[in-house]
Amino acid sequence: MKFYRKLPGYMNIWTVLSMVIVLLILMPNLKILINFFTQTTDNWEHIKEHILPLLLKNTSIIIVATGVLTILIGTSLAWLISAYDFPLKVFFKWGLILPLAIPPYIAAYTYNGILNYTGVIQTTLRNDYGIRVDQKYFDIMNIPGSIFIFTLFLFPYVYTITRAFLANQSSSLIENARLLGRNAFEIFFRVVLPISRGAIIGGASLVLLEVLNDYGVVKYFGVPTFSTAIFQTWFSMGDLNAAIKLSATLMFIVFTILIFEKVLRGRKKYSYTTAKVKPLTPMKLTGWKAWTVFGYSLLIFSLGFFIPFIQLLDWMFLTFEKIASPVFTQLIMNSLLVAFTGAFMIVIFAVIIANFTRMHKSWLSKSASRITILGYSIPGAVIAVGISSVFIDIDNLLFTFYESFGMEASLFLSTSLFMLISAYIIRFLAVGYNSIESGFDKVGNKFTEASRMLGMGMTKTFFKVDVRLIKGAIFSGFILAFIDILKELPLTLILRPFNFDTLSTKAFQYASDEQIHEASLASIIIIVISGIAIYLFHQVLEKEPK
Amino acid sequence: MYIQIKDLCFSYTNQGDKTIDNFCLEIEQGEIISILGESGSGKSTVLRLLSGLETPTKGTISIGGKIVTDDRTFILPEKRGIGMVFQDYALFPHMTVAENIQFGLKGYSRSEKKKRIDEVLELVNMENFKKRYPHELSGGQQQRIALARALAPEPSLLLLDEPFSNLDADLQIKIREELKQIIKKTGITSIFVTHDREDSRAIADRIITMRDGSAHEWESLCTVRNTSNTYDYEMEIMS
Repeated sequence: MKFYRKLPGYMNIWTVLSMVIVLLILMPNLKILINFFTQTTDNWEHIKEHILPLLLKNTSIIIVATGVLTILIGTSLAWLISAYDFPLKVFFKWGLILPLAIPPYIAAYTYNGILNYTGVIQTTLRNDYGIRVDQKYFDIMNIPGSIFIFTLFLFPYVYTITRAFLANQSSSLIENARLLGRNAFEIFFRVVLPISRGAIIGGASLVLLEVLNDYGVVKYFGVPTFSTAIFQTWFSMGDLNAAIKLSATLMFIVFTILIFEKVLRGRKKYSYTTAKVKPLTPMKLTGWKAWTVFGYSLLIFSLGFFIPFIQLLDWMFLTFEKIASPVFTQLIMNSLLVAFTGAFMIVIFAVIIANFTRMHKSWLSKSASRITILGYSIPGAVIAVGISSVFIDIDNLLFTFYESFGMEASLFLSTSLFMLISAYIIRFLAVGYNSIESGFDKVGNKFTEASRMLGMGMTKTFFKVDVRLIKGAIFSGFILAFIDILKELPLTLILRPFNFDTLSTKAFQYASDEQIHEASLASIIIIVISGIAIYLFHQVLEKEPK
Repeated sequence: MYIQIKDLCFSYTNQGDKTIDNFCLEIEQGEIISILGESGSGKSTVLRLLSGLETPTKGTISIGGKIVTDDRTFILPEKRGIGMVFQDYALFPHMTVAENIQFGLKGYSRSEKKKRIDEVLELVNMENFKKRYPHELSGGQQQRIALARALAPEPSLLLLDEPFSNLDADLQIKIREELKQIIKKTGITSIFVTHDREDSRAIADRIITMRDGSAHEWESLCTVRNTSNTYDYEMEIMS
């Protein structure tokens, strides 16, 4: 392909802006990868010898166990909900997504609050029945406890993706298997699991990336993993270089998972290309079977949403008067400020890149698109390390510039909200981008082409035609990014300016300071807002014909 | 020659598989050309290359003596002054009929715009539909608006991509006649792509066939033209 022939088509503001944004996203990640090969420090030698094996062991145990458990729970529920009718099924269909509204770190301290010595279970047993229990059965602040939390609050990723797949894609295969006289278990293991392999693996890899991203749960439970080790090296040892090396190691694990996913899914897509698919008709369950399935769904729903939510509500009423103060209003304002600014920038960047990639089908646009969604797979701790080292470099470069303005702070950018917002953009750009890209996909290029044939350039076309047609997608991209930023913990905790607190950081601090009850109001606000958004979003998805 | 296409090559993928392979065509001003071929023969791609929506890997296109594509030049689609009627019309769903037509009228004053909208609507017999939105129109009406929109900025060339494929069979014959009348009335040079021989025969002054993107056909087309024996191809189809 002769590139120079294509050049004039590329010469526009969209290409330039997209390239700039992509480079900005790439910079912190490159910084980490390059630094992996620089000279090592004593700290790093120490970490490599004494801490790294433990980190690898803990991380692998948590990843494997959470992966297996979320697949079991997510897939079984997806299958039961799509293939059968049982009491309250319609309720569970939506209710089982709700655990996603509770960020795992909130779930972690809520469950600890329920189960510990002063929690509702032990006090009830003690005061009403005089039973004193052995603490070791009620301690969840360990590796199995983290697996419990991750499984219950992340399984909906597997559940939603697999259920959508089964509902839309599988009807003829499953109905055929039924007609061929296979029983329910045989169908599940020999038909459902193999055909939905791609969906299950897709969901599970999202779960694993979330687990690797987590900082709150493992920090609160005191389980040494990469996230906690990165921050510890960075802040306690003050060794940014060693922190970068740890981050790079974690990044390799992430890439391994991504490659593993690609390989496992393979080239087989296991999906039909026919546009019209008949949804699966559910079979009605009766008797003990119906109640068993009902009980299973109820158990998961209660553990994953109802119980922690009710407990948080209870604590909220206990502490409401103490907590609700102008200071708390300030927290809400801060949260809204960063979430709004971040989501707004994300949507703008995402629109620019999506508009560029759909116009040019080439390796350049494909890699731009890949890099844009890269950030979502990179754990918050790694992004935090990468972005602050880049910002410190920039501040050093600008030092003389600051001086000429008579400014005292030498680290101006790296202590500002600007750095935090940039980190949000890198981490959550994928969320906005995916939504906007699918919006463009749905509309297609024909209106844009028609507009250009009528003499409008790319930019005029964009404002007069494209934006009007994809405003729904832009809006949902904004909402999704907004919610993600609102819930976000590790980046906010590390990169926020001094004395700047949001709902999530304050809730986590209260919990870490043994003030679990005080953490409830902030937690409830986060959960309710995310819950509403998740519910609305999935309902919109359900109604839209794909 | 008003339009000259020489040695045009294009492929959608980077490796091999040329969709267009050394395609040559010359068209006189005011001619109505039909490109006839089965789906996948690359006939719509020729229109996309002419309009600038795709960039050829090789070859030259000139319109009215001005080169729009060659090794050094590439004029962006919005600068080419070509009108196009898309297969599914692509009327902007968020604009009324009048707004759709007005969209291409850059550099017209307010009163000129109004006048031009009325003119083209009269041309396609749709004067009473100005305020309607595209989804409130039937397929045939949408097609006429798409034609009016393409003609409004007075383009130097009109391209029509499968203009009848979305219409019912009996409507198709009626619209075909109308279309021919409208194009003849404006005297505009037009190229339309179709897979239907009847369509080609009813409208076109000259018919070009394309088959499976086969290179022989293009090359022979060039040779045919060079020996000024173009009408062989038409004869072949008519028989």
